[in-house]
Amino acid sequence: MAGKILIYAAFFASILSVVTFFMVHLGKEKYLKFGRLFFHITAISIISASIYLLYLILNHHYEFAYIWEHSNSELQLPLLISTFYAGQEGSFMLWTFMTAVIGIFLLNYVSKGDRLEPQVMSIYALVIAFLAFILILKSPFLYVWDKWPGDVEIGFIPEKGKGLNPLLQNFWMSIHPPTLFAGFSSLAVPFCFAIATLMKNRYDDWVKFSMPWLLFSGGVLGLGIMMGGYWAYGVLGWGGYWAWDPVENSSFIPWLVTVAAVHTMIAQKRTGGYKKTNLILCILSFLLVLYSTFLTRSGILGDSSVHSFVDPGQEVYLALVVFISFFILLAIGTLIYRRKELIALNLHPNKLLSRESSLFLGTITLCAAALVITAGTSWPIISKGSVDATFYNKMNLPIAIMIAFINGIALLLKWKTTPEKQFFKSLMFPLILALMVTVGLVFVGVQDFLIALFALAALFTFFINIEIAVNIVRKNRGQAGAYIAHVGLALVFLGIIGSSKYSKEENISLQLNTPTPVPALGYTFTYVGATPFEDPNNKTDTKYHFNIKVEKDGKEMTMQPIMYFSEFSNGVMKNPDIANFPTRDLYLSPMGLEQPSQFSEKDIHEMKKGEEVKVGDMKVQFIDFDFGGIEQGGKEMQSGNFMMGATLKVTDSKFTETISPKIKYTNGEPEFIPAGMTGNENYEFFFTKMNVTEGAIATVAIVDKRNPDKGNGVTEETLVITASIKPFINVLWIGTVVLVMGFVVSIFRRRKELNS
Amino acid sequence: MSKQARIIVGVIIIVVFLVVGFMSFMDSKIEYVNFKEAESRQRTVEVKGQWVKDKGEKFDVKDNTFTFNMKDDFGTEMKVVFDGAKPNNFEVAEAVVVKGKMKDGYFHAKDILTKCPSKYEANGSDVKGNEEKKPEIKN
Repeated sequence: MAGKILIYAAFFASILSVVTFFMVHLGKEKYLKFGRLFFHITAISIISASIYLLYLILNHHYEFAYIWEHSNSELQLPLLISTFYAGQEGSFMLWTFMTAVIGIFLLNYVSKGDRLEPQVMSIYALVIAFLAFILILKSPFLYVWDKWPGDVEIGFIPEKGKGLNPLLQNFWMSIHPPTLFAGFSSLAVPFCFAIATLMKNRYDDWVKFSMPWLLFSGGVLGLGIMMGGYWAYGVLGWGGYWAWDPVENSSFIPWLVTVAAVHTMIAQKRTGGYKKTNLILCILSFLLVLYSTFLTRSGILGDSSVHSFVDPGQEVYLALVVFISFFILLAIGTLIYRRKELIALNLHPNKLLSRESSLFLGTITLCAAALVITAGTSWPIISKGSVDATFYNKMNLPIAIMIAFINGIALLLKWKTTPEKQFFKSLMFPLILALMVTVGLVFVGVQDFLIALFALAALFTFFINIEIAVNIVRKNRGQAGAYIAHVGLALVFLGIIGSSKYSKEENISLQLNTPTPVPALGYTFTYVGATPFEDPNNKTDTKYHFNIKVEKDGKEMTMQPIMYFSEFSNGVMKNPDIANFPTRDLYLSPMGLEQPSQFSEKDIHEMKKGEEVKVGDMKVQFIDFDFGGIEQGGKEMQSGNFMMGATLKVTDSKFTETISPKIKYTNGEPEFIPAGMTGNENYEFFFTKMNVTEGAIATVAIVDKRNPDKGNGVTEETLVITASIKPFINVLWIGTVVLVMGFVVSIFRRRKELNS
Repeated sequence: MSKQARIIVGVIIIVVFLVVGFMSFMDSKIEYVNFKEAESRQRTVEVKGQWVKDKGEKFDVKDNTFTFNMKDDFGTEMKVVFDGAKPNNFEVAEAVVVKGKMKDGYFHAKDILTKCPSKYEANGSDVKGNEEKKPEIKN
């Protein structure tokens, strides 16, 4: 009850906050304190509801359907906390929570000085109202008996929860979703500033106000995306860090637009130009967050994504459509309302060889990338089909080359105008250096023209940024953010080239204790057996390390990819193991374990007592086990030395016979003694397994002797793995960390500027 | 550059970008088809269907290929050969989506997606703990 009441309270308070702040916008100053009060009530209600949900999770209140579905009592604290957002309801709750927390800081921020408070806060409260409305429709506080009325009687408390999807049982689950949602939530802020400034009809200082927030979004969202990539690479065993999956794309698109906005906003701050561009980019980045939510939460991409959520139901689908349509209309409406004033804003006259022109060009290129990815990701909505990942790679490679070159050039250009001679002179040194390294790379094996060009562009911008960053760090540390971020980007590009284009992969079958006869990827692999181990978060399943001895140049190590059968998913789960070296990763992904089997799958029949199967022109019925005088589960059976049979009634076109194939155990080792019909020699019957725990079930293999199928051809336990080498993947990870650090340094700089 | 020249250059760049984008898009889009349609197409397609359990499945350790028979939604049966081991949840999947192309009379799959929509959804009888017995998974 308490949870639902808090959500309703938040919803109504946010509506009141919208109304009162809007009154202030209309000039009724006295409502300001009410607007603030209602906003605080909204935020506190949502934060309380979130704390309450967390409390319920920590105390295992399985009478709540959401907690029963996603949590259980085995989970250790960090993962137990993460079940908060393991499902759809909870992740909306997390999003709303983040928006509320950011809202408190935002209110504090805009209430200082003349920072468009009533306009910003009325729009921001509106965002929260919509989120709270979705939480009313899709509440995490639903009791099991409310969710399944008829099936569950009121007051029933399930003993244990279903637990967390094993794919999510991982360290990254604790930090990747909150980071991503912090990024998503914070993108509402620049949007609100853009709409607010349109409401206020004042187009200069909003850029200064929203800059630190935009940088925060860019940094945090970037960090979240990178964590997702690392998760996919290191744990899920998808082989790579990026697969152009709709869910990945839909967080990447708003990030690209955010980063584009950062660049033209800097240009506006310096030159006063690009006012309209910036308004549109800030509006777009938030609308894209909503669009991304719609794509991944509405179930609309269910057919084309591995990890889209399930269909949330008609109401939520509709609510999402209304949510996104409303904000699109709001933005378009406001822009149309101010069309005259916007047209009157003069186009800024700029020279081609100026920093602002190149920043604008960079923004256009980033938006082109966003457009390409949006088109590809949205395609399944329009047509019955999907887009291959090659599309994204092909289209984004030239764009990335341009981004890298423009990035390098932009920093050599000065604001307003640059003397040509000076510009070309400054170009020479980094370009020659980059060319020299690229030529070296071509000799090493980078022979693809576009890839070599990409490497050249990335090296070019790398050297320029390093040079400037080093100079600046000596003089004015605070200004180095942009250069640090760009060094990071150059490293990311170089890391991508190495790890994806020059990755080598091989499927290898490893027979138990038999080293690979020919080294694969330069290594000798030996599968030495599997060992079970206990995972404190998952006591239901037994996990296995598959131990592989890896040898190269006389050095030896053991790698342990993991496979286990998961009760939760009813399937086999696989985790890779990675050996990290300075210049490359060796990546072992388990594919499967093949046990020797004497019979082909299609010849094996499991029969309950009395059950009949048809094979060719025969009917075979399992009558009963034939223990032959020994006691079931008795002394002989426990000794491992005994014989037993299965009595079968076989009817073909002419005869009916009763036969009894047998298993003979010697020290626990089975030997199958076949039986056949006297009147029909075409078939041979084997009794291979008995199962008495789920009723009497006999497993019988019926082999057609005229056309014998010899099982799977495996003579020894065989582990199948995919081994790959990912060159210079560390450069990619280091690059992403450096990139995010650049954002952090920039946030501090822009905050400082604000106060000066 | 004059303003006019700049606009012309801008338009050319945009048109080239759109044309190249459109062409590579047409190149890499993947249609959902059935096996009959797949045969008439030379390119990569996706086919949804069910594994024909009676015909079994087989992993070839030497070639690293996984072979099984699949029936599409129109009832056409086809041999599918996949480069790799048996995918996750293959036995329990209610539908299988294979991505690849027809070659030498069988479907050569680059990728297999197993669909288990019930995976994340529970129902009321689960709450009471009387779940169905799960099928035993053989090696």
